[in-house]
Amino acid sequence: MRSLAHPPLPEQRDFPSRLHHPRVAARLGAWLGICFFVAFATGLVSHLAQQPDSWLPSRPVWGYRVTQGIHVAAGTACVPLLLAKLWTVYPRFWIRPPRQLRELALHGAERASIGVLVAAAVFELATGLANVTTWYPWSFSFRPTHFAVAWVAVGALVVHIAVKLPVVRAALAPAAADEPEPPGEGLSRRGLVRTAGVASVAAVVLTAGGTVPWLRRVAVLAPRSGTGPQGIPVNKSAHAAGVTATATDPAYRLEVRYGETSVSLSRDDLLAMPQQTSGLPIACVEGWSAHGEWTGVRLRDLLDAVGAPRGRSVEVSSLQEHGPFRVTHLPHQYADDDLTLLALALDGEPLSLDHGFPCRLIAPNRPGVLQTKWVRSLEVPA
Amino acid sequence: MRIRILLGGLGLAVAAYGAWLLLGDDLADLVTIAVWLAAGVVLHDFVLVPLTLGVSWLGLRVLPGGSRAAASAGLVVLGTLTVLAVPVLGRWGANTDNTTILDRHYGLGWLAVAGLTIMGVLLVLVAKRRSGGPGARRR
Repeated sequence: MRSLAHPPLPEQRDFPSRLHHPRVAARLGAWLGICFFVAFATGLVSHLAQQPDSWLPSRPVWGYRVTQGIHVAAGTACVPLLLAKLWTVYPRFWIRPPRQLRELALHGAERASIGVLVAAAVFELATGLANVTTWYPWSFSFRPTHFAVAWVAVGALVVHIAVKLPVVRAALAPAAADEPEPPGEGLSRRGLVRTAGVASVAAVVLTAGGTVPWLRRVAVLAPRSGTGPQGIPVNKSAHAAGVTATATDPAYRLEVRYGETSVSLSRDDLLAMPQQTSGLPIACVEGWSAHGEWTGVRLRDLLDAVGAPRGRSVEVSSLQEHGPFRVTHLPHQYADDDLTLLALALDGEPLSLDHGFPCRLIAPNRPGVLQTKWVRSLEVPA
Repeated sequence: MRIRILLGGLGLAVAAYGAWLLLGDDLADLVTIAVWLAAGVVLHDFVLVPLTLGVSWLGLRVLPGGSRAAASAGLVVLGTLTVLAVPVLGRWGANTDNTTILDRHYGLGWLAVAGLTIMGVLLVLVAKRRSGGPGARRR
């Protein structure tokens, strides 16, 4: 009898449940793969939208709202699917390595690729879930890291599909569906796949309240209920940005510059200019979004006041003195769009301090972090 | 076979691009990223899986045979949703000067999800009993 102090390591045959089967793994894997690729594609859109020289069009106005909402929802849907998938294939973790050198090398390579895939996939979901609650328990920069590891995860996923293609083909073949399941007491294979699907849909419904307004009441696990001052959530408060004093200073002036030409405008000067109302969503990288009726001066009118030609991008500076979004770069297609405003009011009331008083940028189809608040200057490089 | 080699090559190139992007970081960040990458695998394989196996083992001993399928389904739903809810339940991202983030009672929300899941499991069991006792399941 073996000593209890050194119990033998489990082997694959120690997990006899009928659920540890390639058909379950292939079906869960197919859904998981779809969700991962959707999250990757929408993530690429978001990454591009945040590049200073983005060529994304300014229409449709709801474009970023939809792609980023889908990005976060697809990642959320992956959580139950990934956990169920990993559980299904878990006994394979205990397969003993083969003895022949050639087989051992292949076995090692496959294990390594799966190790990379699991590590990168869990990393993407964990950092994404923490980020949507504005929790950053790490020292690295979130966006470039989440972006880079996404490429690693998707690359490892494609390698995994290449390795498993014969198994997947056999498991998903129509003939395989007619094969009866082995008898047993517990959950059936079909039952597990359906349950993981239900959990995945529930995960999205319970968290999507900040994105889909009619889900607000049932989205009990959403990081944001989707409301806030003037009906819209806030990402960074005036206090956190350190602008409370400068934003409320009566001496505040907006500077608009093009080369040597510049104008200096108080909030009253801005209110005296022709006002336009644009119904535009504010859509955050964290997935939440909300529609607002923004009123203010068309950005193009301000650029015309200093004679800046069309087709030029604009440097938008905020009163905030620190932070990565203090100065943002507005590509020309947004600057020239008739809907783009330097907003002074939201839903008929003066902009609240947390929404960017005295004035903020609001452009169609843009990530929220680039809709600069507490705008101090607009500059078109000559 | 050719398509598998092509796919494999494509996957390696895509993953290598991601690794190359990461290499732009300084060493301290790379170490943190490596720790996070490894921690996910370790937490899953050596905490979450043993925990699931333990709960399943307990379930096998406590629950009557006919209720196992529904109970397992309930465990899959509630377990995965609980993992998903960790950041909102922990509230580590809460911010005193911004009340629009983490602005719900997540503990109550989780209890509601748990209650609904348990109710769903019980409803399935009652329906199964009515339709002909344990083990009577449609395929």
